Amino acid sequence: MYFIQTLINGLLLGGYYALIGIGMTMILGIVKLTNLAHGEFVIIGAYMASVITTGLGIDPILSLVITVPLMFLIGFVLQYVLIGNAMKKGPEPALLVTFGLSIILMDAMRLTFTVNERSIATSYSTKTFTVLGINISVLNLVLFAISIVSILLLSLFLNRTYVGRAIRATADDAEAAALSGVNIKKVYAIAMGVSMASAAVAGLCVGMKSTFNPTSGGAYLSTAFVVVVIGGMGSIPGTLIAGVIFGLAQVIGGASYGQLISYVMLLLVLVIRPKGILGK
Amino acid sequence: MSEPLLRIDDLSVGYGDFIAVDGASLQVDEGQIVSLIGLNGAGKTTLTSAVTGLLKPTSGKVYFGAEDITGMNTDKIVSKGLSLIPQGGRCFNRMSVQDNLLMGSFPRSARKEAKETLGHVYELFPVLKEKMRDPAGSLSGGQRQMVAIGRALMARPKCLIFDEISLGLSPAVIKDIYNRIQSINERDKTAIILIEQDTRRALKMSDSFFVMLKGKIVLSGKSAEVDAETLKEAYFGI
Amino acid sequence: MLKRKFTPSHVKVLDSPPMLILCIVLVVCLYIGCFAGLISNKVMRYLVQIFLYVTMGEMWNLLSGYAGMTSLGQQLYIGLAGYSVAMATSPLFGLPLFSALLIGAGISVVVSLFMSLILFRLEGMYFSIATLVAAEAFCMLFFAWKFVGQGAGLTIRINPYPKLQEICILSLTICVVALALVYGLLRTRVGLGLTAMRDDITSAASVGVNIFSHKLLVYVIAAFFTALAGGIFFVNKGTIYPDSGFDISWTISMVFIAIIGGTGTVSGPVIGAIIYVFLNEKLADYPGWSNIILGTITILVILFLPNGIMGTLQKKLRFEIFSSKRFSFRLKKNAGGK
Repeated sequence: MYFIQTLINGLLLGGYYALIGIGMTMILGIVKLTNLAHGEFVIIGAYMASVITTGLGIDPILSLVITVPLMFLIGFVLQYVLIGNAMKKGPEPALLVTFGLSIILMDAMRLTFTVNERSIATSYSTKTFTVLGINISVLNLVLFAISIVSILLLSLFLNRTYVGRAIRATADDAEAAALSGVNIKKVYAIAMGVSMASAAVAGLCVGMKSTFNPTSGGAYLSTAFVVVVIGGMGSIPGTLIAGVIFGLAQVIGGASYGQLISYVMLLLVLVIRPKGILGK
Repeated sequence: MSEPLLRIDDLSVGYGDFIAVDGASLQVDEGQIVSLIGLNGAGKTTLTSAVTGLLKPTSGKVYFGAEDITGMNTDKIVSKGLSLIPQGGRCFNRMSVQDNLLMGSFPRSARKEAKETLGHVYELFPVLKEKMRDPAGSLSGGQRQMVAIGRALMARPKCLIFDEISLGLSPAVIKDIYNRIQSINERDKTAIILIEQDTRRALKMSDSFFVMLKGKIVLSGKSAEVDAETLKEAYFGI
Repeated sequence: MLKRKFTPSHVKVLDSPPMLILCIVLVVCLYIGCFAGLISNKVMRYLVQIFLYVTMGEMWNLLSGYAGMTSLGQQLYIGLAGYSVAMATSPLFGLPLFSALLIGAGISVVVSLFMSLILFRLEGMYFSIATLVAAEAFCMLFFAWKFVGQGAGLTIRINPYPKLQEICILSLTICVVALALVYGLLRTRVGLGLTAMRDDITSAASVGVNIFSHKLLVYVIAAFFTALAGGIFFVNKGTIYPDSGFDISWTISMVFIAIIGGTGTVSGPVIGAIIYVFLNEKLADYPGWSNIILGTITILVILFLPNGIMGTLQKKLRFEIFSSKRFSFRLKKNAGGK
């Protein structure tokens, strides 16, 4: 019974961790950029959701109607004006620009929201129910549903729309995509926008699942890295599997060893299969 | 006489201090097949890269119809009706054949007719219809070239540039592909520029030709009228 | 019609002998100042910081700017050194500071050798990610490890407590040795190989550069000196815990110093470290804004001065202080091109 309980918990959390990694995988796989500010983006998403929820007195999930488009816009502009220009100078300068962004955002959040821990409370935060002797947390179930729906929407967008196809084509061969009439700079900006939008959703989930403060970003950056590298860059199914593996590690290792186990797993994957489990 | 479809006027392109294309001029009329021949490293690919906006020219002008397209972004140029099929085809290997083709109709002007054009492409290359769900990376070299041609056709171009389409293909496949290029030209009146090292084949198919050597156009004329000796001299620069 | 220029013919090289003599004089003056007590404690405190940051920045520069290994995990060796100093000088072992520092550096070398087995299979962003995660993993390990006090960490009580003067001389020595080593290394065949690797790793391998041994040498040297500098930092801090030892802001400061000064120049990190220390001092007046200002400066420098201060100066004025080119003199006389 303990085994099944662990499996269920890990599975439910898997969606949540995949969601944290999905924005990172897009940027690494498509724009070929290591975005060190992704953790801060997630935390900004959490703060936005928290402010809107308390300000308007609505259900936290409804806040996505505002945060997702807003974060998309910020991401688009950021890539179009700033990061895109740094990328022309090579991968290291671009990496360091995101590094700069990450510390700027960290302090900006500290100035705006102080260092106090925050969280997003819901009526179902602590409720659980039992099915066949297995305890299921309502919150984990909600997070799982949010994550799966977002990832499905993202995958529909990438596979069924002209812009989504253009994004995949650009990831494959940017010059050939330009020859098919794609504006590469714009596609990169859209990809960053989508990544930011996913960070908005991930941020909401982070806020509902645990407390957060302006310096929490680093931990989520590492989580995203682990999920992305284990799953293989740019692969959505791989990200989901990696999310579940990560979730299981957290459940089995608990608070003190969960992170450590996943880091060691990441290093092992890097050594054995550097392109990830499903990577080619 | 009416305006030529594509006019390249005294175009120069350089990489740093190295000048790869040095004041090249050429023109293509509507519905014409033109061949651009020359040795390896003569600057043919650099010239077409500059024409399609992949490289920025250092001086000179490119006109498409009456419009100056010099230094425009590639995506703009493609949507105006000038497409390049790059060396090796460069398919999106991880995407399905159908997705590759649909990518070609990315320019807004081509999207409305995408379904109809897709039908034409499958008519031209029936083998692609059979393999429409397969990833392009799993196809043979010749089939990948067909995907690349089909992708370019999806944008409904007025002018198509083929950069060494025969490279690495078997003679039978080359012959097949050239037949289809001919039929593209006949059916849609698409102007075609063939970049080739295989002089004989290119001359047989084209209306006029240009010979490039060390970055310059050294000889041009009607393909049917050239004599072998003059051509050889221009081609090798002896 | 094919024009080629050899840019080195335009570069005036301002290194030895006048520049080298000037530097030796400066170093000797600093030593005399420290030994004779001519420098006030306030200035000495600045100097210690500058010396240590120069060392760390120079090491990161060697890794990223010359060997193409953009590490985001150098804090790993700072943390190891800090913990080693705390442990070795504790009543349990009771060693003096100097041996404690050497132990820290030794442990770092061993760990770096082990890490190289994992890290050197990776390139580019995978390498950066792996270094960051490896440092995080060690942080977690120390969080869970009872012997080093878990999350609460250790108190550092060195007995006898070293004088500021001693610390200053020690830091100066580490800094001078590090600079001399980097400068010397870059002017040997190894330096030539490193530069080739940075420009194109495949071509470098194809002309016979042993990629693995070059990388290993640089990585281990960087770990050794970063650990020495990091260990001294913790002497003054008094405590160490996982989040302070393995803090990514250590690497942030190295990156800042190298970028501002100019990566791929030996003199760059020296300028960068001086700017960083003074900027940090000034920024203490604006609590909460320091990272915003540092981050903005980093981004602006990358966008508008991509070669950093020294790199830009070199390009503008066409001279080079401390050229790492072995053949700069011969090339200078060679009027290449037409």
